[in-house]
Amino acid sequence: MSKENISGDVTLVRVDDIDTDQIFHQSLLTIHNPEEIKPHIFGNLEGFENFGKEDNSNKILVVGKNFGKGSTRQQAVTGFLAHKIKAIIGESFGPIYYSNAVNAGLLLVEVPDIADFVIDVDDELEIDISQSVLLNKTKNAQMKCKKIPQPVLDIMNAGGLLKLGGRF
Amino acid sequence: MKGFTLVEKIIKSHTTASEEEIFPGNIVWINLDLVTARDYAGPQVVDLFQKNYPDSKVFNSNKIIFTPDCYPYGNDPKHAVDQEKIRVFAKEHNIKVTDLGSGIGSHLLFRRGFSKPGDIAFGADSHYNILGALGILGLGAGDVMLAFAMKTGKAWIKIPETVKIYLEGDYSWPTSSKDLALYVLKQLHEYGITGKSVEFYGNIISKLSIEDRVTLCSLITEASGMIGFVPQDSITADYYKKLGIEIETITADDNANYSSELTIDIEDLGMYIACPPHPHNVKPIEEVVDTPISSIVVGSCTNGSYTDIHEVARVLKGRKVDPNVRFGIVPATREDFVTINSEGDMSVILEAGGNFFGTGCSTCAKGQYGLTGGKTAVTLTTGNRNTQGKIGPADVYLASPAIAAATAIEGKIAIPKVSEEK
Repeated sequence: MSKENISGDVTLVRVDDIDTDQIFHQSLLTIHNPEEIKPHIFGNLEGFENFGKEDNSNKILVVGKNFGKGSTRQQAVTGFLAHKIKAIIGESFGPIYYSNAVNAGLLLVEVPDIADFVIDVDDELEIDISQSVLLNKTKNAQMKCKKIPQPVLDIMNAGGLLKLGGRF
Repeated sequence: MKGFTLVEKIIKSHTTASEEEIFPGNIVWINLDLVTARDYAGPQVVDLFQKNYPDSKVFNSNKIIFTPDCYPYGNDPKHAVDQEKIRVFAKEHNIKVTDLGSGIGSHLLFRRGFSKPGDIAFGADSHYNILGALGILGLGAGDVMLAFAMKTGKAWIKIPETVKIYLEGDYSWPTSSKDLALYVLKQLHEYGITGKSVEFYGNIISKLSIEDRVTLCSLITEASGMIGFVPQDSITADYYKKLGIEIETITADDNANYSSELTIDIEDLGMYIACPPHPHNVKPIEEVVDTPISSIVVGSCTNGSYTDIHEVARVLKGRKVDPNVRFGIVPATREDFVTINSEGDMSVILEAGGNFFGTGCSTCAKGQYGLTGGKTAVTLTTGNRNTQGKIGPADVYLASPAIAAATAIEGKIAIPKVSEEK
């Protein structure tokens, strides 16, 4: 992942302060199987209740600020991996959500000025990881993203944090 | 010499990284003093551990605790299976379990002295950062991080920026530390502290009990912050002395590097309520007074301590709960339960029409008292989240224990009457 570029079509959920209870509701916490988590994603987010049942594979999800604030539940990350979402791009992420995503291999990209970036559904985006640039190929526009720290890339390239358990 | 903030100092003492590597934004590996999990994430942590590290031992069985605090009663067959998985694993690895009736894990860490100032504790609870109230770097973590931590005793952390906050002024009853916490949450959410650490200073701090400090620090998560610290003082030292634990004082350096400083004026602070649909949607009580409420819950890691329940008794004494209101109290820990019983608060509340439920996380977690159905069951809780749809389909308000009690009497949001106590 360190050299590769990631590209995909956009799916938009541009809502700020999305809490983990809106991503995967607390009443479902005994569900752990990724395929069973999948249909419930955003099930408690007004206007996006059907997201979980739609085909989002290979998409790049664009969100607002403070995405994933709230609880520590891993399912709120697992569900997007089950959907085969390639990356989530947002202004900022809750700190626990950020580490949960990295540990499980879900790429999060912070773009501080994302609110000013014109993006429509199905636009083709490309994330240039080494240059820290977000490209909207459909609109021929680009924007700077925050550099993804090398240790984060190392964890993701290893296939997730658990793979590093033998090194310590 | 380079100066360090509190969070940087604690990280520095738990890593092999050099001083030069301790700066905001950098990622370092840290050694953990304590790793815990509770009953909703714990079973998955056990599954991940066994799948990825078959036949392995945990890094140190004395540094792991399971703290079932969401639904340890076995009130659902699926939960019962999950809980037993934790107990079996704990027995096999000689790990402590604070089981049924013990209460909220984050509170047990300080109530029972499992964790002390300067320590780093990771747990499956996004409000582990309440431990910042005691100078402990407590952080919530997901299943993957915890399974890894139980194997290695390590975790990674992105060193946060620190914001220095001065709370200027003072307030008096019925304004409480919950009103302070809500007011500060509103300011910090607007200010923007995503992923950051904050340190609280000001004359008010020396007037806040450990329980008040926990309440203050408990809403940092709702502002998307990493943790809020109340720097250690004699109140912290006395608290641990009573537990028979001597603590080493850790303070931020005078020349520490703060990303910004913010003064919040709390002189004559009023009362505040978090309104739907977000905890940070905080308004003065006057704007929502008289809103009809039918379900009230006092509890959670934010306001489930004996001091909070005492506030409820103080307002309810000699009065009755409106018969249309369901009023439940969920003490945070067994220690809190024992205290409210011995001090008479329990009988005052029971005689007034209140109800007690077993210790634990109350409405913030799955499986406990207080969930509602339908659009008419409007809730007021002393908890920390009112996310739309979390407790039920209807609106949820967050407020102090005194406001909760006054509201229970009136059946609508009410201002607590001035106490007759002197």
